[in-house]
Amino acid sequence: MIIDFTTAAYLSIAFWLSGSMLGIAAKSSPAIRKTATALNLGGSLIMIAFIAIYWQALERPPLRTLGETRIWYAALIPLVGLLVEYRWKISWLKYYCMGLAAFFLTINLLHPEVFDKALMPALQSPWFIPHVVVYLVGYVLLAASSVAAWHNIFLSWRLKEEKSYDALSHYLALLGFVFLTFGLIFGALWAKDAWGNYWSWDPKETWAFIAWLIYLGYLHAISHTVNRLKLQWYLALAFFVLLVSWFGVNYLPTAANSVHTYQQS
Amino acid sequence: MKADRRKLFQSPWEFREAALIVILLNAAGFAIQFALGGSGITMPVWPMNAITLTILGGLILTTGLSYRNNRLVAWLGGIPLGLSLILTLAALSFIGGMVPQESGSNPTAIRLGLHSIFSSWPFALVVALFLINLGLSLSWKLVPFRLKNLQFILFHAGFWIALSCGIFGSSDLQRLVVPVEEGQANSRGYIMKSRTAQELPFSVYLHDFSIEEYPPQLMLYDPKNDRLVMNSSQAIPEVRTGATAEWKGIGVKVIEFIPSGLPGKDGIPVPVEPATGIPFAKVSISGAAGEGETWLSTGGPMLKPGAVDLDGLFLFMVPGSPKSFRSAVTLSDENGNETIADLEVNKPVNFKGWKIYQMGYDEQSGKFSTLSLLEVIRDPWLPAVYLGFFMMLAANTLFFWNGIKKSGASS
Repeated sequence: MIIDFTTAAYLSIAFWLSGSMLGIAAKSSPAIRKTATALNLGGSLIMIAFIAIYWQALERPPLRTLGETRIWYAALIPLVGLLVEYRWKISWLKYYCMGLAAFFLTINLLHPEVFDKALMPALQSPWFIPHVVVYLVGYVLLAASSVAAWHNIFLSWRLKEEKSYDALSHYLALLGFVFLTFGLIFGALWAKDAWGNYWSWDPKETWAFIAWLIYLGYLHAISHTVNRLKLQWYLALAFFVLLVSWFGVNYLPTAANSVHTYQQS
Repeated sequence: MKADRRKLFQSPWEFREAALIVILLNAAGFAIQFALGGSGITMPVWPMNAITLTILGGLILTTGLSYRNNRLVAWLGGIPLGLSLILTLAALSFIGGMVPQESGSNPTAIRLGLHSIFSSWPFALVVALFLINLGLSLSWKLVPFRLKNLQFILFHAGFWIALSCGIFGSSDLQRLVVPVEEGQANSRGYIMKSRTAQELPFSVYLHDFSIEEYPPQLMLYDPKNDRLVMNSSQAIPEVRTGATAEWKGIGVKVIEFIPSGLPGKDGIPVPVEPATGIPFAKVSISGAAGEGETWLSTGGPMLKPGAVDLDGLFLFMVPGSPKSFRSAVTLSDENGNETIADLEVNKPVNFKGWKIYQMGYDEQSGKFSTLSLLEVIRDPWLPAVYLGFFMMLAANTLFFWNGIKKSGASS
């Protein structure tokens, strides 16, 4: 096969690792910092290029299996870290993001998946790509929000710092919630075309709804008088609910009835 | 915190009162559910559901606008109760996400409605109070109208409309399965839940049902360990003329591929038209055991699959999974209106207020199926639910935009 996931994954991880080390080592030199950013960006671009080639080879969007969604996740989450650095001049988030991306690629390296072109008729829809990609962007933003919240908790516990990065975890959660809402409603519109129901309390739908409600709860808690550290704990832990809805559902007793479980291969 | 010094139920009410009321509401809901022997709540049908919903909406709006300074009403439409209800909905959904729905054996769990949580009394009561809370908060932003409240109004009104119309309209939804044989018409549908038949206001004539399959695949099976042998690239090779595959020293090359064939007079497969044949492939095999050529087939209703024994490993050709299946139909009502349509998964067709879906076929016959299973659905409340959805999407677009703008100002 022309497409070699192993090489691409190692290459990306190497780019992220060297970019991170260079960035940490040369905080004071702007020129080296630029090189570091280019390396970090390069790691994601390799993954994006791999997705494009893989898409061509599969003759279907590589969004069907859990492993395929992990590749997208790994490509996108460092970009969130880099955008946060570019937009808000906050540089620590990207290291966590690249760490998470490398972690997901490692899972794929340890569990290689079967290369399979088949795409069941229910997935052949113009909604397939927007529904899944919007969700993945939402997951990525909320993962970053959770990481920022853990960082804030750590800062207040260890350094007793009152001033921390609450605004960062908040805005990432806000943007993530917007994408979750789009994903949820796109899913409903698609379900109506595929199965005749926009909502059927399928376990995956139920968990996506729970996750959406949890973040909806956060947005209401923050507009009321709730202690700031409690809110950081809330955001830090809320992401685990999202993980259940992403892949944890597959392992629950309810999964047997689901039309949504990723195909295991 | 201030709230801790205040006595319970001392005005103004806050989170603790909200949490307590919501817990009591759930207890009441489960008690009613249990007392009624586990039969959930049933929604009234048209026009009673529309009348009830209009009265509910009207009452909420008038109460909200006439008593907006009343402390109890302010609490009923406030964030503490709203947040408690959001988290309670999440908790009840959590039961629905953990306990298998519509199946269960524990009589207590069934009686409490744990296996049908979304039509249970506690869920209904929580949703009802949620609609009141949401509606009240909406009424205060609606009057007087201010442009800066647009995002709030669109999101909350959209959610109210989608949720209420989805729930109140569910009793008017009709969903029937219509089986049709090729060359025949049918105007009778079956309701799967109640196993009853119902006459439709139109009939479906099936001209042709067809399935397109992905190419067959080659697999090497190890019967001793009951598993498939994977090759190094983790790809399952597709069968087409010239394709090659390799597993640990065994090389396979497809010399000739007949997507649809039948054995000829001398036993050698010859191509036939797609509706009658099965896939055949002539492969050459090379390996430690020597070289050879042979025919493989996927098998079909009349023919056993042809596999090859390679020193205890079996080389198989498995049929490709269905890529698409479609029914060419004519839909006609009693007034003589006719529509010709191709029905396919994800491509339903509208006819006289009904949506017609390609649902399935006789899976045992696979691509030889002459039976098509269609599903017909009438959902008169759908436009209202979609209006709610689109309002929420519009609100979220504004939310995104404002979020980006504000986050810039704060940094």
